[in-house]
Amino acid sequence: MAFSGTAQLLSPSLGPSLSSPRRVASSSVSHPTASLCRPPSSSTAIKCDHSSTSHPLPDPSICFSKSKTLAALPKTLALSAASAFLFHLSSSSPSILPLASHGSGNGGPVGGGGGGGGWGWNGNGGGGDNGGLWSRLFSPSAIAGEDESQSQEWDAHGLPANIVVQLNKLSGFKKYMLSEIQFFDRRRGATVGTEDSFFEMVSLRPGGIYTKAHLQKELENLATCGMFEKVDLEGKTKPDGSLGITISFTESTWQSADSFRCINVGLLPQSKPMEMDPDMTDKEKMEYFRSQERDYKRRIERSRPCLLPLSVHGEVLQMLKEQGKVSARLLQRIRDRVQKWYHDEGYACAQVVNFGNLNTKEVVCEVVEGDITQMVVQFQDKLGNVCEGDTQLAVVRRELPKQLRQGHIFNIEAGKQALRNINSLALFSNIEVNPRSDEVNDGGIIVEIKLKELEHKTAEVSTEWSIVPGRQGRPTLASIQPSGTVSFEHRNLKGLNRSLLGSITTSNFFNPQDDLAFKLEYVHPYLDGVYDPRNRSFRASCFNSRKLSPVFTGGPGTDEVPPIWVDRAGFKAGITESFTRQSKFTYGLVMEEITTRDESSHISANGQRQLPSGGITADGPPTTLSGTGIDRIAFAQANITRDNTKFVNGAIVGERNVFQLDQGLGVGSKFPFFNRHQLTVTRFVQLKQVEEGAGKPPPPVLVLHGHYGGCVGDLPSYDAFTLGGPYSVRGYNMGELGACRNIVELAAELRIPVRSTHIYAFAEHGNDLGSSKDVKGNPTEYYRRSGQGSSYGVGVKLGLVRAEYAVDHNSGTGAIFLSYREIFFWTCVLALGRNLEKNPKFVMSTLPLGLS
Amino acid sequence: MASNLIREWNGIQQFPPSTQTKLLELLGKFKQENVSSLTILVMGKGGVGKSSTVNSIVGERVVAVSAFQSEGPRPVMVSRSRAGFTLNIIDTPGLVEGGYVNDHALEMIKRFLLNKTIDVLLYVDRLDAYRVDNLDRQVIKAIADSFGKGIWSRGLIVLTHAQLSPPDGINYDDFFGRRSEALLKVVRLGARIKKQDVQGSAIPVVLVENSGRCNTNDSGEKVLPNGIAWIPNLVKTITDVVSNGSKAILVDKKLIEGPNPNDRGKLWIPLILAFQYLFVIKPIQRAIKQDIAKEEKPLWELRDMGLSQRQF
Repeated sequence: MAFSGTAQLLSPSLGPSLSSPRRVASSSVSHPTASLCRPPSSSTAIKCDHSSTSHPLPDPSICFSKSKTLAALPKTLALSAASAFLFHLSSSSPSILPLASHGSGNGGPVGGGGGGGGWGWNGNGGGGDNGGLWSRLFSPSAIAGEDESQSQEWDAHGLPANIVVQLNKLSGFKKYMLSEIQFFDRRRGATVGTEDSFFEMVSLRPGGIYTKAHLQKELENLATCGMFEKVDLEGKTKPDGSLGITISFTESTWQSADSFRCINVGLLPQSKPMEMDPDMTDKEKMEYFRSQERDYKRRIERSRPCLLPLSVHGEVLQMLKEQGKVSARLLQRIRDRVQKWYHDEGYACAQVVNFGNLNTKEVVCEVVEGDITQMVVQFQDKLGNVCEGDTQLAVVRRELPKQLRQGHIFNIEAGKQALRNINSLALFSNIEVNPRSDEVNDGGIIVEIKLKELEHKTAEVSTEWSIVPGRQGRPTLASIQPSGTVSFEHRNLKGLNRSLLGSITTSNFFNPQDDLAFKLEYVHPYLDGVYDPRNRSFRASCFNSRKLSPVFTGGPGTDEVPPIWVDRAGFKAGITESFTRQSKFTYGLVMEEITTRDESSHISANGQRQLPSGGITADGPPTTLSGTGIDRIAFAQANITRDNTKFVNGAIVGERNVFQLDQGLGVGSKFPFFNRHQLTVTRFVQLKQVEEGAGKPPPPVLVLHGHYGGCVGDLPSYDAFTLGGPYSVRGYNMGELGACRNIVELAAELRIPVRSTHIYAFAEHGNDLGSSKDVKGNPTEYYRRSGQGSSYGVGVKLGLVRAEYAVDHNSGTGAIFLSYREIFFWTCVLALGRNLEKNPKFVMSTLPLGLS
Repeated sequence: MASNLIREWNGIQQFPPSTQTKLLELLGKFKQENVSSLTILVMGKGGVGKSSTVNSIVGERVVAVSAFQSEGPRPVMVSRSRAGFTLNIIDTPGLVEGGYVNDHALEMIKRFLLNKTIDVLLYVDRLDAYRVDNLDRQVIKAIADSFGKGIWSRGLIVLTHAQLSPPDGINYDDFFGRRSEALLKVVRLGARIKKQDVQGSAIPVVLVENSGRCNTNDSGEKVLPNGIAWIPNLVKTITDVVSNGSKAILVDKKLIEGPNPNDRGKLWIPLILAFQYLFVIKPIQRAIKQDIAKEEKPLWELRDMGLSQRQF
């Protein structure tokens, strides 16, 4: 056994610390410069970027790559990054910490060192090596690489079969193939299986090809890790030329302890043990131990309390109590438990670095929790080089949770939140939140936020040719119309995320006046200054829109009512104050011109009706307030939304209240003065408590929805409330039940999860409260509508589509409907965009299949 | 329109002398009260004999009547003057079409009546219709809605086809009484006239027989089976109604269109606005603040704030 080594023998400096009654582990003396860089592989947005660190940290950098067209993509990317990250941690955690290491570091860069993070502590050089292997084992791409290397040839041992070979008898020039590895616990006198926790410490694996140097290094690592009092390695030749290996060891043990303490030693300088002179006298030795003890006490005092909760603390105590003697295996388990808690809670940079005070009644677990020493925001150009960004830093900074600032402990959740918040600015194509270890302050974390800016100016022209039927229904050359959109966008003006965007859409460029949709919008966020926490933004826009009026719709069984189109064009300016992500208050001014037109685009001042004779009379209710078909109007608008809904396993739960107010100012045609208001109250009641988590079933939810609307004062028909339709009373067409001055809608829906989707049953009622007659011309009566109605039915959600069977209570007939949007999501925001769909059923995304 | 020109009431001469005397007597009464014109609005369902009644009263065939077709699609006013007194009778198209109240016809009538004063409403129905139904009620409601409830205090119910033999076992007066009672009830319901109002001035019911086969009495007057000469009786009832103290109905724009709902409550808007600000917007804002305060912070955030006390 020439190359069997006890720890003492191998590393002289280890001696004192092992024999020290107080303390086993101490700190690093030499920091290997291991620059571990993991090539970006498919599953990862995680990088390990270590340079000379005493606490190699898994370095989770969350990448956030954003393509312009796919807005939804980044979220999934971020999630996958996060999960990969967790995986990464769990992979590295079984790597036992070497309990004492003054290892002579092996310097060179180790390829694929992703896993190296959790592996070696105190910069154990061997750790780096192990890490390399671990990472190879745990990262798919690395494994692939390893496979290649394994396909290389190995050398037969060239010795007689079945003889025991000492390590130093092996040839230094040969590559040995390991076919078998065995562990022999000398204390128990038995071979331990691969399930033993020590097995994880060994980087050698059956089937691997190693040189003598490899094996020596391995033994050295094991000997210096502090877990063993004595470790041997011997080979056994196999008939096929490969080598079997037996590692025999004696586990280190210390006296039993009955208390446990966990301290945060982050940012504390590592204590450097004095070299103990073997020639010391007993008195000197005593002095030395005492000073060490003092130092350690001071260290404990200076340390900060850690986050570890009492419950985990209790668990550890229980472990200590059950065990009796403190053994290396126990410490390993304690470390795993503590680290697991930290990592489960998102403290990705937390690391158990040391156990101290061994051989006393108390086990002290030293943790580096990951204190943030600095936060850096960096801009990158397209090539990834650091550059000066146009965006003002304050804009980014206000989106960052304060938990990412200096003095806080890094938590992956805070990082994710930062990622989400910054992403919502829509200014960057790539966002990385990247904690890396601080080279200056031991145990510190520098949070790097790397941002790639999007193009600020974009202009787009998209065209399409539509062939419209000419005479006799045949497309002719003259009737081919060029249509398309011209849009431009200027974002992030002055680096303050102000933006100006405009677009023009027409279905015929030759005659754009026929059908021109335009929009010009200016958004000015941070109205109170970018440093003010108040989040108000100013928004001004010019717009036009064209919509089919549901007021001029026939009741059931009436002849088709000639449609009335409501064209709006105007200007709108308002201030939005966001209280939370979902709750906000908007107030502003709207000036618009409303023109009502009939099918052939002629201005029409009254609703039309088809006579039994087939003719059309235009003696219906007036379409506008002025009675001319054109209204100009200015009014103030306010909208307050309170929304505290959240997702519980994919089901919406919470409350949403919206109050919208349009206050006429007496400015416009016929001096309109009115107060039009509506209140929407929606409750999503969770009917069962469920455990939250990915893949868990959502709870059944009862949705209660109420909507009241009313108007006092001048009410033109286009502003009347309409009853019926998928967002009012399901089972009816838009406006089929009436148009009124006051409206009440009540709905209840029960959603029951079934597998990955849900089925639901609903009942709804809408009522005009007898106010239809208070709309000028009484359009409800004119088109023979009932003014109220109920419906009930059942449905199922299939992906994005809701398919439902609704029974219309007025006639008692049912029909199947398909809709594509979330119901009860109705907010009363003035429609700015132009709705190009000509069919009202498409406008509401509903296609009655007519199974009545 | 020719019929709108005021002509001398020549038709009166066709009545038997005793009828003429009674009519002139009644007209004299109007004169005494300084009433120089009387406008009668005739309304009712289709085919009940409105136009025939008009013809009977005027004593001329002023409105075309056809047994099987609905008469004129538009209202017609017949004006006749006699000794400085003008009688205007407005015949209207039937109010019922296809089982519904014909809004269109009603609308036309309203527009026709614009700026006219209605002294008397004759609501015409048939005596020989045994039942009343919801449609009657709707017709009456439509009239009341169009011209206001007040018109019924100036109204009288005219039952045509009065010369009939009632169903077995009921005598004529009984039948008439029951029929008129049923109709009055419908009128009260339809026009939503309260009971006590009715007691003050009950709506009179008059019988009419327009048929040429109508029995006559000794002096050649058309009489009903109960022996009453109906034309003088009708005119007399009309005069009674005119002089019962209620107001004539002036049909103006406001009456036709109803009160402008757009003007209602306008004065209250500032108050409503203040209410909304204080009792809707403010509470919602408070609720949002509460939401923010109550928001469940993730554990890591609480730990960061030092609130965990090592409990989680």
